[in-house]
Amino acid sequence: MSGEKDHTYLSRLRAQLADRQIDRREFLRTATLLGVSASAALTMAGQVRPARAEETPKAGGKIRIENKNSSADPATMTSIDESNATRQALEYLTETGADNITRPYLLDSWKPSDDLRSWTLNLRKGVKWQDGRDFTADDVTWNIKRLLTDETGSSVLGLMKGYMLNETKGADGNATHSLWDANAIEKVDDHTVRLNLKVAQIAVPEHLFHYSFAMVDPTSSPKFRVGINGTGPFRVAELNPGRNVIYEANKNYWGQKPYLDRLEFVDYGDERAAVPAALISGQIQGILNAEPQQMPLLRNQPTLQLYEVLTGDGPALRFRVDHKPFDNPKVRLALRLGVDNAAVAKLALGDMGSAGEDHMVAPVHPEYFKLPDFKQDVARAKQLLAEAGYPNGLQFEVAVTKTPAYHILVVQAIVEQWKQIGVNATINLMPTSAYYDVWTKVPVGLTSWAHRPLGIMNIGLAYRSGAPWNESGYNNPEFDKLLTQAESVADPVERRKVMEPIEKILQEDGPMIQATWRKQATFYAKAVGGFSMHPSQYIFARNLWLKA
Amino acid sequence: MLAFALRRLTQLLVTAIISSFLLFVVTEFSPGTVSRQILGPYALPNQVALLDQKLGLSQSLPQRYVNWLSVLVGLKANPLGDPSLKLDLSDSRGDRYFGNFGYSLMFKQPVRDVLAGPLENSALLGAVAMAFIVPLSLLIGILAGANAGTQLDRLLSTGCLIVTSIPEYAAGVILLTIFVSYLNWLPGTSPLLATEQWSIASQLVLPAAVLTLATVGYVARIVRASMADTMTKPYVRTALLKGLTKRRIVTRHVIRNGMIPPMTVLLLQINWLVGGVVVCESIFAYPGVGRLLLQAGLFGDLALVQTITLLSLAIAAVTQLLADISYVALNPRVRLT
Repeated sequence: MSGEKDHTYLSRLRAQLADRQIDRREFLRTATLLGVSASAALTMAGQVRPARAEETPKAGGKIRIENKNSSADPATMTSIDESNATRQALEYLTETGADNITRPYLLDSWKPSDDLRSWTLNLRKGVKWQDGRDFTADDVTWNIKRLLTDETGSSVLGLMKGYMLNETKGADGNATHSLWDANAIEKVDDHTVRLNLKVAQIAVPEHLFHYSFAMVDPTSSPKFRVGINGTGPFRVAELNPGRNVIYEANKNYWGQKPYLDRLEFVDYGDERAAVPAALISGQIQGILNAEPQQMPLLRNQPTLQLYEVLTGDGPALRFRVDHKPFDNPKVRLALRLGVDNAAVAKLALGDMGSAGEDHMVAPVHPEYFKLPDFKQDVARAKQLLAEAGYPNGLQFEVAVTKTPAYHILVVQAIVEQWKQIGVNATINLMPTSAYYDVWTKVPVGLTSWAHRPLGIMNIGLAYRSGAPWNESGYNNPEFDKLLTQAESVADPVERRKVMEPIEKILQEDGPMIQATWRKQATFYAKAVGGFSMHPSQYIFARNLWLKA
Repeated sequence: MLAFALRRLTQLLVTAIISSFLLFVVTEFSPGTVSRQILGPYALPNQVALLDQKLGLSQSLPQRYVNWLSVLVGLKANPLGDPSLKLDLSDSRGDRYFGNFGYSLMFKQPVRDVLAGPLENSALLGAVAMAFIVPLSLLIGILAGANAGTQLDRLLSTGCLIVTSIPEYAAGVILLTIFVSYLNWLPGTSPLLATEQWSIASQLVLPAAVLTLATVGYVARIVRASMADTMTKPYVRTALLKGLTKRRIVTRHVIRNGMIPPMTVLLLQINWLVGGVVVCESIFAYPGVGRLLLQAGLFGDLALVQTITLLSLAIAAVTQLLADISYVALNPRVRLT
């Protein structure tokens, strides 16, 4: 597997592993990113997959899981729930597993060039749409082009803009985008697509698994609906937005056939308090995620199994930098210095949380650089506010969603601590759907940032100038440059060096307070086999089965 | 009688028009615009303005009210359904029909389609609850009222007071703890999706119980007060002196006369049960109109909020008309003028 076809960087990676400069997990991640299959990478890492005494899955049966649904176009989805609903029928080119390792899925393999500027995507042969048509390179190029078009409005655009698009400012001051090169998305043959990048980028396979990147059929409407034509293991048999989705197994699925005959996602909306009651009485067999305050109740149920995983899920309390007084970096730094993140994490999440460092890169991310401790400093915060012209403190409103409930606790803890530096903030509790209609507009708000496998991914979505999901309007050319540089470094050790100034900029100048990391936990009935908690709360129902 | 009914109907119509205008004005002043909601946070201000124009939202308030009313009665097509807008909104009934309440932006479907299921569900829950509320509250109220001042009356009245003062959400949680967590006799939520273990009927038990608990005490106290009052009327004394038994007096004379005030209250409960059971429906995730109204209100789904509110107004008006007519049946002395 270490033949001449492999990426030249692999040998260096192996040396680093031997010298313990990187750990095994990091080796696996980077090796798979460079196109080595996960099993080959495991062999290289000198370990074989442990043989686990697992029960043999049984076919048949029906499972109900709590998960919200809608009839949105996958390209414009903004929630994990919606993506879970489409995920069972529509699939992705790649798949990042619960272990944070990305593997080919609808692809058979990928191969980056040595300069990481050309990515050859080899499609898996034999993949079929549910209507029987072959899944081909034309489908892939059509989908990528659609996602990178302004009119589609997909968050993929922000994710890939740096290396796929050119931006032109119109006379009205609004930016429009176009592919940086006519050949940027190149069809090589019926089963090969090549992406030619403007600049080097390491996270292409992981971007291909961004939840808006589901492959939809070019010949029909992309709106999620009954009978939508995907390549996935389940067909949508019934869809009642706001109530439930019922799936039937796709008998002609191209891969390992799903074990379940039927699958149902039940939508409880924002009624989170109702969900444990439904799980306990057996109306549903699993829930999307358990909130910290529900843990004691659910832990005590003999029929339920706890699943948990550490993540890089950290909500950001961000300020619109084009609003006074948040346009002043001193004010933003003062607001950060006024908060003790460890105390916020403990208050909001108890043993389900740990302190964030206000830069959105988590200890579970491979490129995480440990900065010196960022400590609460009330005196300095007050001084900074005075210097910025606010010696008597500030008053403003913080918007926060009703769910997940711990977000309210995060905001309450921060707001209470701010009182020490003379900041009196009020809390505007908003329904989740209403908040996400205005989330990029509110002057101050706490936004959920889901776990993504690399630290640079959320940063790229949220803080790159002009990205659709740049909710704070943050605009820092130096930061953008460093970010693009970090995205082009395959070497985790090298990338870590670039991460140091990036993390520092966000900590000192950035537009947000990111105070907590959380563990993801959920409960499923013990009768359900095949589940593992994904750090992004993704559900892969094709793995689930019912024990007799 | 005919003139009376006609006059009441005219009043009803006037009430409907005035209240619909007030409703329209109130919802018009809610924050955010329909165009912004449709186009999403990434849309540019000029795109929003363009859509405002296409939808006729830049016209004056009275004009917009007339537009809305014309769509409602089927004189005009709903501008949101125009395929050239590419909003993916379509109505299987066509674009012009009587009772066109517009499109729910939250569900991207015609309001009528969104509302049909929840309305049916709320009516079902309301009917089941009423089947317990009416006999229970009448029985308790009549027993207590006919025996005003006795030990039995005090016992029943205190019981009613206690039950009335338990809020719906507390009653819901108490019942959930007992019957779901400890006994596991009943399902914890009521999404009305039957499973192998829990039938639809079993899912109705807890919400209906909460509604019954919340209402019976109150209605029974009204019945009791009215009965007790009627019992002091001179004709009751006369009947007693004439030698009639108490049972006969109560069943033949007092109930009929004492039912007039409780009838209004009972009929008002219908209105609440069909459109306003927000708390109870939320606790049990019951897919009814109350929960939908909450969702719609929180999302800012104007068409849906308007329709549900209009519906509540209509039900209130109709039930009060029924109440007026039933007064006549109960007491012929009520003048039909």
